[in-house]
Amino acid sequence: MNKLFYPIAAVLILAASAFTFLSAPGWQIADGYSISFTNDEASGIFKDFKGTVLFDEQNPAAGKFDVVIDVTSINTGNGLQNKHAKSDEWFDAAKYPQIHFVSRSMARGGNGYQVTGDLEMHGVKKPTTIPFTFKKTAQGGVFTGSFTVNRSDFGIGKPGGEVPEPVKLDISVPVTKS
Amino acid sequence: MLKKSLALGLVSGLLAGIAGIIYAHLYYTINEADFSKVASTINILAASLFGGVLAAIGYTLLDKWLKTRGEIVFNLVFTLISFISLLAPIAVRLPRNIDTPELFPGMVIPMHFFPALAWFTLKPLFIKSK
Repeated sequence: MNKLFYPIAAVLILAASAFTFLSAPGWQIADGYSISFTNDEASGIFKDFKGTVLFDEQNPAAGKFDVVIDVTSINTGNGLQNKHAKSDEWFDAAKYPQIHFVSRSMARGGNGYQVTGDLEMHGVKKPTTIPFTFKKTAQGGVFTGSFTVNRSDFGIGKPGGEVPEPVKLDISVPVTKS
Repeated sequence: MLKKSLALGLVSGLLAGIAGIIYAHLYYTINEADFSKVASTINILAASLFGGVLAAIGYTLLDKWLKTRGEIVFNLVFTLISFISLLAPIAVRLPRNIDTPELFPGMVIPMHFFPALAWFTLKPLFIKSK
């Protein structure tokens, strides 16, 4: 048994170290990011955003996004609207303080890349695909993406009403090498 | 009459502006809410002077048309307009890079009464009651 220990350990270490080459490099979310939402009746931004970003341009399949938006950081530019948006009629920030996205797969697609994962808002988890681009900069890079969600799919607001169902989200996230 | 009421309008507008600027600085110190990008010193002063001059024109016209009842109607209209104008800072959408927009009405609403307050306070010095 003792004779087998070192060879097995060597094989395991070798195998584990090989997998580390497969994982994508990590990126640190830098200041200056922008998470905005718009439709004909409502628009605003989320000011607080954090998470883990693993991405390799050459090997997007090894990438991983796990990001969280703080719902209480919503800013529509109007105090009353902010209060209204955080209320149980819309985001219900007291009960669901976070919007969470975890990627499941990532691939090249369209003019850039596509990440598919679970988007959880207002306690409802839905598979969502987000097309994005990545542009290298001197400091690191910038992820830019844009996609539309139906607010009623996530139980946000009453169906119908003045605020249209589709809400466009525009995301721009500068990153630095971590 | 226009000359006297214009002088009153300008002086009360200027005083309202100075009071507004002092109040804005106090508000910033107390609440750490900086709205100087949307309500700068120049903006506060210009808006107060605009209110004072508008009041002067309104007073002159009402005094001319309604004679003895002109003043009471003017006072009523000036106060009403000051109240109605409160809707503007409540409904306004600030640039989204400005934090705590919910504190904006608290800063601006009192300022909307400063021109009327200054006018009513200084009026006896410029225009004698009939």
